[in-house]
Amino acid sequence: MSVAVAVTDSPEGRLALESAVAEAQKLGTGLLLINLTLHDFAEAEAPSGLEVTVINRSGRGDRDPVTAVIDELNEHSEVDRLVLGVRARSRVGKLILGSVAQRIILRSPVPVLTVRRDATRR
Amino acid sequence: MPPGSPRRRSTSTASTNFELPNVGTGRPVHRLGIIATVATFGGLLFGYDTGVVNGALEPLSEDFGLTALSEGLVVASLMVGAAFGAVFGGRVADAWGRRRTILLLACVFIIGTLGCVLAPGPEFLIGARFVLGIAVGGASATVPVYLGEIAPSEKRGSYVTRNELMIVGGQLAAFVINAVIFNFFGHVDSIWRWMLLVALVPAIALLVGMIFQPESPRWLISQGRTEEALAVLKQVRSPERAEAEIDEVTHLAAEDAKEATGGFSDLGTRWVLRLVIVGAGLGFFQQLTGINSVMYYGTQLLTSAGLDSGVAIIGNIANGVFSLAGISLGMYLLNKLPRRVMFLTGYALIAVFHTLIALTAVIVPPGPAQAWTVLAFLVLFVFSMQGTVGPLTWLMLSEIFPMKIRSFAMGICVFVLWIMNAIVAQFFPPLIEALGMTATFGMFAGLAVIAFVFLALMLPETKDKDLAEFEREFKAEYGRR
Repeated sequence: MSVAVAVTDSPEGRLALESAVAEAQKLGTGLLLINLTLHDFAEAEAPSGLEVTVINRSGRGDRDPVTAVIDELNEHSEVDRLVLGVRARSRVGKLILGSVAQRIILRSPVPVLTVRRDATRR
Repeated sequence: MPPGSPRRRSTSTASTNFELPNVGTGRPVHRLGIIATVATFGGLLFGYDTGVVNGALEPLSEDFGLTALSEGLVVASLMVGAAFGAVFGGRVADAWGRRRTILLLACVFIIGTLGCVLAPGPEFLIGARFVLGIAVGGASATVPVYLGEIAPSEKRGSYVTRNELMIVGGQLAAFVINAVIFNFFGHVDSIWRWMLLVALVPAIALLVGMIFQPESPRWLISQGRTEEALAVLKQVRSPERAEAEIDEVTHLAAEDAKEATGGFSDLGTRWVLRLVIVGAGLGFFQQLTGINSVMYYGTQLLTSAGLDSGVAIIGNIANGVFSLAGISLGMYLLNKLPRRVMFLTGYALIAVFHTLIALTAVIVPPGPAQAWTVLAFLVLFVFSMQGTVGPLTWLMLSEIFPMKIRSFAMGICVFVLWIMNAIVAQFFPPLIEALGMTATFGMFAGLAVIAFVFLALMLPETKDKDLAEFEREFKAEYGRR
């Protein structure tokens, strides 16, 4: 058993990471940190207090963050849930960029736990 | 056009972690010199093929009965081809290797040149110029990469600079050769075909020369062909250095692969999008300085200001000379001045000289006096542009993007730059015809002012900052919190 988290370069990404750490600690499992930002996570940036595997996005094969995440989930069969930060996008934003979160949710091989910044209750 | 070489600088060009023995002397250094000479024929061709219309256009236009609009199209089709060549050239070079790509480009140069020289009519010429443009754009993307990868790390910068000088030198050569051909053989029918034909010489030199040059060691390593890479390194380095360098090159090849990580979806990150907008703005405004309206239409401008064609084509050489002098100064200034200061000074000077050109056309009556005054301000514009904005734009593009999105972001910016180049080339002759010199250059002056404001508001300072530090600061300021 293990928890995976997709960390984007945004407040939602940081929130997802916090929630995933809490989730993994509650379940007593390790954490697979899939880093979708454009900089590699250094050792020091990874959360402490639990067993973390950091996967940095790298190379043309990882250009689409959705593929990057799904590939890792397929490869790591010990993972049984994915934590993902989401936010409402404007229609124009969705039209131009599409929704990465939506595509991940629809293609994920494991259940997805989504977290939102403006959630009233944590 | 100001040197069109996206300098793919790796973040780790400085071999800080790699203690390397001296490059050596004698044979390997000599060999490197030959490689650089051959490969920079690519830069020379880039310059010659873009500059040659300046001078060839008038006889060509008479021959084919071109209008201002179709003249623009003949010139601009090359830039449209170059936009695609620049964007896809890098991809081909990654897949096939630098050497084979340059060989292929040399063939395209030859075919494109012959197509232009033998063109039976304007439509064919436009198509042939498009094909030639693909080679120009491709060379702009691959030659500097090849040079940068085969040169020893401590000399990388000077090899790439050499290519940039060859580009501007190629334009100057085109201006001089056109002036000579036109003044001695101007009476010959379709003399423009001979002017274009000259480009065949460096194209063949590039083709034949590259056959004997080795593949880039870094590319070989990226393909897992380490043995071959070592064999190449042994030809261009001392034996000890070659062995020692394998590790460095392996590291750099891995870094290169990372540059292709980011793509379209990363533009959803606000600070990354902002950087790409700044970069695209740099390419956009660099071309709207109108530098290439001088580089392509300088002779015509002088003719319309009141010089005889034979004299105008000689006067135009001054543009090439000042362009070369400017770029030499610019290369020196790059390491001295803060980027923002240099950019803003550049655009301010450009606005001033454009205004002076616009005023000259109103104040001085048409005739030789007007033409010479215009030429004086034109060369001052060219000199200040090439001394600042020209080379600085390329340097800035190579250092503002996060490493992992560099390939994609540079692709966008370079494409925007070439397309703007094409738009200026297409619409300059009709604008001059419809509005005259005052309004056209007044417009360029206005655009330079807009560029000044855009950069003053948007451009971050990058000089003397390492990329990680710069990214942290920029993200802290413009990222979503």
